[in-house]
Amino acid sequence: MEHIIIIGGGIGGALAHDLTLRGFRVTLVEKGELLSGASGRHHGLLHSGARYVLHDLKAARECAEENGILRRIAPDALELNDGLFVALNDADMALWDRFDEKCHEAGIIHTQLTASQTLALEPELVPTLKGAFRVCDAVMDAWRLPLQFFATALSNGARIRTFTEVISIQTSGRSIVGVEVVDHRFNRVETIGSDLVVNAAGPWAAKVAAMVGLKIPLRTVPGVMVSVPARLNRMVINRLHPAGEGDIIVPQRNLSIMGTTAWMAEDPDSVQIPRGHVTRLFELGKQLIPRIRQYAPHAVWHACRPLLDVGPEQDPMRISRTSDCLDHAERDDLEGFVTVLGGKATTMRAMAEQTADLICRNTGRDRHCRTRKAALKPYRAYYEYH
Amino acid sequence: MNSMEMFKFRIRRYKPGAIDPPRFETFEVAVGQDRSASILDCLEQIRLNQDPTLMYRHSCHHGSCGTCACQINGTPRLACTTKLSQLSADPLIIEPLEGFDCIADLVVNMDDFFKDIDCKWSYLQTDQSADAPPPPGGITTWSRLEDCIECGCCVSACPAVQVNSAFMGPAALTAVHRQYRKFRQQRERLLAIAGGHRGVKGCHRALVCSKVCPTRVYPARHIDELRRQLKTPSST
Repeated sequence: MEHIIIIGGGIGGALAHDLTLRGFRVTLVEKGELLSGASGRHHGLLHSGARYVLHDLKAARECAEENGILRRIAPDALELNDGLFVALNDADMALWDRFDEKCHEAGIIHTQLTASQTLALEPELVPTLKGAFRVCDAVMDAWRLPLQFFATALSNGARIRTFTEVISIQTSGRSIVGVEVVDHRFNRVETIGSDLVVNAAGPWAAKVAAMVGLKIPLRTVPGVMVSVPARLNRMVINRLHPAGEGDIIVPQRNLSIMGTTAWMAEDPDSVQIPRGHVTRLFELGKQLIPRIRQYAPHAVWHACRPLLDVGPEQDPMRISRTSDCLDHAERDDLEGFVTVLGGKATTMRAMAEQTADLICRNTGRDRHCRTRKAALKPYRAYYEYH
Repeated sequence: MNSMEMFKFRIRRYKPGAIDPPRFETFEVAVGQDRSASILDCLEQIRLNQDPTLMYRHSCHHGSCGTCACQINGTPRLACTTKLSQLSADPLIIEPLEGFDCIADLVVNMDDFFKDIDCKWSYLQTDQSADAPPPPGGITTWSRLEDCIECGCCVSACPAVQVNSAFMGPAALTAVHRQYRKFRQQRERLLAIAGGHRGVKGCHRALVCSKVCPTRVYPARHIDELRRQLKTPSST
């Protein structure tokens, strides 16, 4: 079977898992630690899809489906306490019927709660709230859940090389034949030959594509998150309003994590947290849970969303969260090169499926995806197999 | 206004065959004067602006994944939740976790750490807080990821592990105890592990494991509880 190199240890783990199950030989290279880019650095929300129903039904449906699948294949890395979309004022209430309708349309199970029912479930919420919808949001361990994909891929024979950075892509005519990497452990440069290279470098995918002179439709959209050292809620708390900044508080272990801001950036390696973002997250967070303002930040960090640029949308909150894979043979007359772009941690398995389907079509292999049902190995198995 | 201040870092570098034997290198990083930057923020700045070959593990940046533990001024801590404002030394000394094999720079091999933690042991717990309201229909109990993030700080600090390589150490014993509490039917087997020659008798009660734990798991309490259960196994 063909040897496939995956560049990027984020969603690349889900792809390595899918491709090994379909019988391909896989080598994954990651320039740092696994999941150190975007896929391991988010607030940990496993989306129900409800956040997107008002403006991006496609992303909402994808999230809803993947939520169900990840609950089945990786239950041990999820806090399954559901989530709430809380209406705080009349403007939020004006969206009530539309939210209800759109959740139906996207196939997202949701329940309407009165103000007192909502407060009974989450007593720290602001007492003047108007009501809420309960949805099947969950909280994932942003490291351990995706690590299960890597563990399973390893157990099925994938090679995973961390701290191994691609410095050039090797071509022969209009075909890609391998990559040149530096293994940072030894400062050693080497070449790895392949039949196909998948660019799954997330926010760094444009830099990888540029190595072979290609431009790809990527928008780098960083966001800031702040955790406080107290768990103030059990369920995921979302604000019922159009997707905006600071509209979520994700509980996890003994933390509450406020997210997120969004702005456009050029280079994922030179992002600085803009002044005022932390204050803004506290301002917005306390509207949902007043007591959150009493805490000093436990951690402040950012991650870059690698979003698919599908049109003129300029509001970073409204750019679609859907994903795509680009077949560079068809698009740019360059054989043996595929880029996977966009998406979210919640949809990493689906992105892998879509990419592996494309690879099967291109290589003439009739292998079906098995990742919807195959239970993943426990994350600790990663340390046994690697 | 948060004007900038320079911080000096002495980082232990090692790359087999390339930076070998290990040596310290000094880097200077400009940080905001409120000193809210974390050690991990500074390592990121060094890697991105000064030396792209610097290796360290990191993922979540908020103390949940457990990958970024290293010796900071001689104490095992998480780089992501240790802020400059909590530290006073100049320069700051950053080294790989003691007691683990160093792969390169600040990266250590965690394979042995997981050797005594069965990969199938559960990583979820029931939320036990007294003030928890009853969960809504469809959810039997509020669930929570385990507080132990398997960072290795407790094992690194444990003086007993250093003198007795057979001792499985505080993280594995804590995992044994968690599993013991959750699954009645496995209790006999788990107590046999805790009471075995690699189990609780290796612990000297130095209690540093509990002191350095960044997520307040207090491994020493779990070890104590296992000792108690070994004497008089509880029936509940």
